[in-house]
Amino acid sequence: MRQIRPRQNYLGAGGWVWAGNYKLERYLYILHRVTGLGILFFLLAHLIVTTFFRIQGQEVWEKAMTILNNPLFKTGEYLVAVAFVYHALNGLRLILQELGFLMAKPIPPIYPYSDALRKKRLWTMAIIGIIAILCLVFFYDFIVGGW
Amino acid sequence: MRYTYLWLMQLVTGVLIAVLLGIHMVIQHLEDILRFLGFNLNDPASWQSMMERSREVIWAGIYIALLAVVLYHALNGLRNVILELTPSARTERAITWTIVAFGVIVFAWASYVPIALLSR
Repeated sequence: MRQIRPRQNYLGAGGWVWAGNYKLERYLYILHRVTGLGILFFLLAHLIVTTFFRIQGQEVWEKAMTILNNPLFKTGEYLVAVAFVYHALNGLRLILQELGFLMAKPIPPIYPYSDALRKKRLWTMAIIGIIAILCLVFFYDFIVGGW
Repeated sequence: MRYTYLWLMQLVTGVLIAVLLGIHMVIQHLEDILRFLGFNLNDPASWQSMMERSREVIWAGIYIALLAVVLYHALNGLRNVILELTPSARTERAITWTIVAFGVIVFAWASYVPIALLSR
């Protein structure tokens, strides 16, 4: 006799990084989550620096800034900028699509399947393009501003 | 509060952050490009420029508003990520209240600083 086995497709934490045969949007979602967590850690570090060091006056602040002014942290900051640009614009796409914009009308799932998101994939591609351009703008600033 | 409202606020705070943090990023980092476009900010990351800003009530207000909005968005997002592991109702409550307490502490401390810096 067959038993009901609940949550057989339950991936647990593995589902946070592995999307299997799902399409582009699912991988964008995973990146959204990774960048979100990254920005959260940066936010906490940023708050520590801008409160504890700043309230102690100019000397402590400028000493902290000299320590932080090295290639490793600069690269990290660039990655945070990229993560922010990605998270913001992909989030904007998610909000618009949740409200029903930028996607086609839903139809019954008849083979060959074509979901409402994939029919307007061009919008998603356009947003990825804008993200890439902004990443290049920040890269220019990162190079000009010194490592 | 029903979860739908938590999610709706996540969307609203997301849009607010995109605007406010976008301004923050452009002012702090795209200085060279702004100068090219005709806005001269005089090294916005220096101590002097920072102190000039922190003496103005409007900037303290913007920073505290940004802090509140960002903390909500970040911690609600973290809670959503953790709850995807479908813990029991008991664990879920513990997680929720830990995160709320953490958020309140961070907000209290980090909003005290711009207020204290107003009179420096």
